[in-house]
Amino acid sequence: MTSTTSRDSAQKPRLLESRRVLTLILLTAFVWSLLNLDWTTGFIHSGGIDAMGEFAKALFTLDLSGDTLTSAISASWTTVAYAVAGLTLALLIGIPLGAIGSGVLTRSPWLRVTSGGGTRFSLAFFRSIHELVWAWLFVAAIGLSPMAAVLALAIPYGGILGRIYAELLQDVPDAPLRSLRSTGASEWRVFWYGRLPMALPDMLSYTFYRLECGIRSAAIMSFVGLGGLGHEIRISLDDLAYHQVWTYLLFLIGLVVIVDVWSTMVRRRLSE
Amino acid sequence: MTTFDRTQHTQAPAMRWPRITFIRFSLLAMLALIVASWIFVLNADGAQNHSFLSAETFNRFKDFLADLLGVGASGTPAYAQWSEWRSTGHLAYDTLVMSVMAIGFAAIFALVFFMFGARNMMMGDIAPYGSWFWRGVFFFVRGIFVVTRAIPELIWAMLIIFVLSPGLLPGAVALGLHNAGILGKLSSEIVEGLDQRPIQALRSTGAGRFQVMVYGVLPQALPRFVTYLFYRWEVIIRTAIVVGFVSAGGLGTEFRLSMSYFHFTTITLLLVWYLILVLGVDITASYLRRLAR
Repeated sequence: MTSTTSRDSAQKPRLLESRRVLTLILLTAFVWSLLNLDWTTGFIHSGGIDAMGEFAKALFTLDLSGDTLTSAISASWTTVAYAVAGLTLALLIGIPLGAIGSGVLTRSPWLRVTSGGGTRFSLAFFRSIHELVWAWLFVAAIGLSPMAAVLALAIPYGGILGRIYAELLQDVPDAPLRSLRSTGASEWRVFWYGRLPMALPDMLSYTFYRLECGIRSAAIMSFVGLGGLGHEIRISLDDLAYHQVWTYLLFLIGLVVIVDVWSTMVRRRLSE
Repeated sequence: MTTFDRTQHTQAPAMRWPRITFIRFSLLAMLALIVASWIFVLNADGAQNHSFLSAETFNRFKDFLADLLGVGASGTPAYAQWSEWRSTGHLAYDTLVMSVMAIGFAAIFALVFFMFGARNMMMGDIAPYGSWFWRGVFFFVRGIFVVTRAIPELIWAMLIIFVLSPGLLPGAVALGLHNAGILGKLSSEIVEGLDQRPIQALRSTGAGRFQVMVYGVLPQALPRFVTYLFYRWEVIIRTAIVVGFVSAGGLGTEFRLSMSYFHFTTITLLLVWYLILVLGVDITASYLRRLAR
């Protein structure tokens, strides 16, 4: 960070200085966090190394029996279904709240501040709590229903989507909007015929990116007892059946990679 | 936050028609997936004793909220006691420590590897290395990024708890591993999207491999790397409570215990601390981000 060129430092001496300060802050923070560890006792379990060795060895004796594969496939489907269903609900939260939160639907400054600010605040609240915490609260409240998993995914994801959509809707180029306004279009029409079509590719692209995250989040919903790949991993770990753990882990990795490749292909084409 | 998925790949204009069909195909596939998923979820929900959309759900929800607020419970609610605030405050401090340690681990890991995960550095025009060996290194590093990234923090924590003794360290390592993959991928993509002219100019003066890295790539890439660092820190503080569920310390461990002992008002208190942490980190990160610019 300190290796800025001499021309830069001549032009903006304060920038260089603030970067040095930042480096110092970051290093101090990291050292402070390490000092909080208890250095007097060992960090590794007795037998921890052996467990790691066994775990590594189990990769070469993968459990590929029919039973394991069937349950892996059905768990993968559960995970995908939670992720997709959660994301659709998240869209229903994110699109309207994002549009209102961006404050572009009205010209009145008073409405803009109140409705925009209020919506942004609720979006921030939605996304500040992790999906698994939401899931646990829902399960505690209403019991083990798959809807708990879907809702738990939908709320924080809706919060994130809403915020990003709001930013994208605000960031569209202004010139086409002005020409629409000059024809006498209301802000609502400007939104439909100007802002939304221009922001849509980026919005879609971000949504596809979120799908990949959704798969990972859905996989851990199992922790509160809602099925899916994480559930199988946890059960196999409790049985110390490392070779099964690997099978499920590889399924999870494969699933994420497939969605990742797909979403990258879509996003690459959308951003052209 | 919109900056991190800027891939900026250019393709020949001859590829115009398959691009439209691919997007259409993807949207149709997505639609089919959505329908199938909802059928699955609603069927599974219908198999429960009571479906989600029923008065029963509403009543349970109301009861749970009352429990959280301590309505009708005997004794003072936890959030009304100073001693409870103090003891849970220590846990919040632990969670904060865990998040800082985790982002530190992730940053070190990413900084060591990200140059080797950038396609243009390893086998593109500006590659100081052109051999099959470095090509292999590229795929190996990208493979590490994919695996660490694909496994969620909580599952990393479940695995790591077998090796490391319970405490803040396993949680930080689990968070760090997952985010190392994400940060590594993001920062490799920064290098791939860099302005290549300064790097080529540097190469033409006869700069060696590591000189190109240190004087050509790092100064250009670091400011954006630091912005990503703060963005991931905001995510990590939200997830730090979750790895705590598997006895990795901090707010999460206490959250889990209170859930199993039905100490609902303690849960409210923990959630308040959690929100304070998230808000504090968001504000701090946005302030520090300004320094990086």
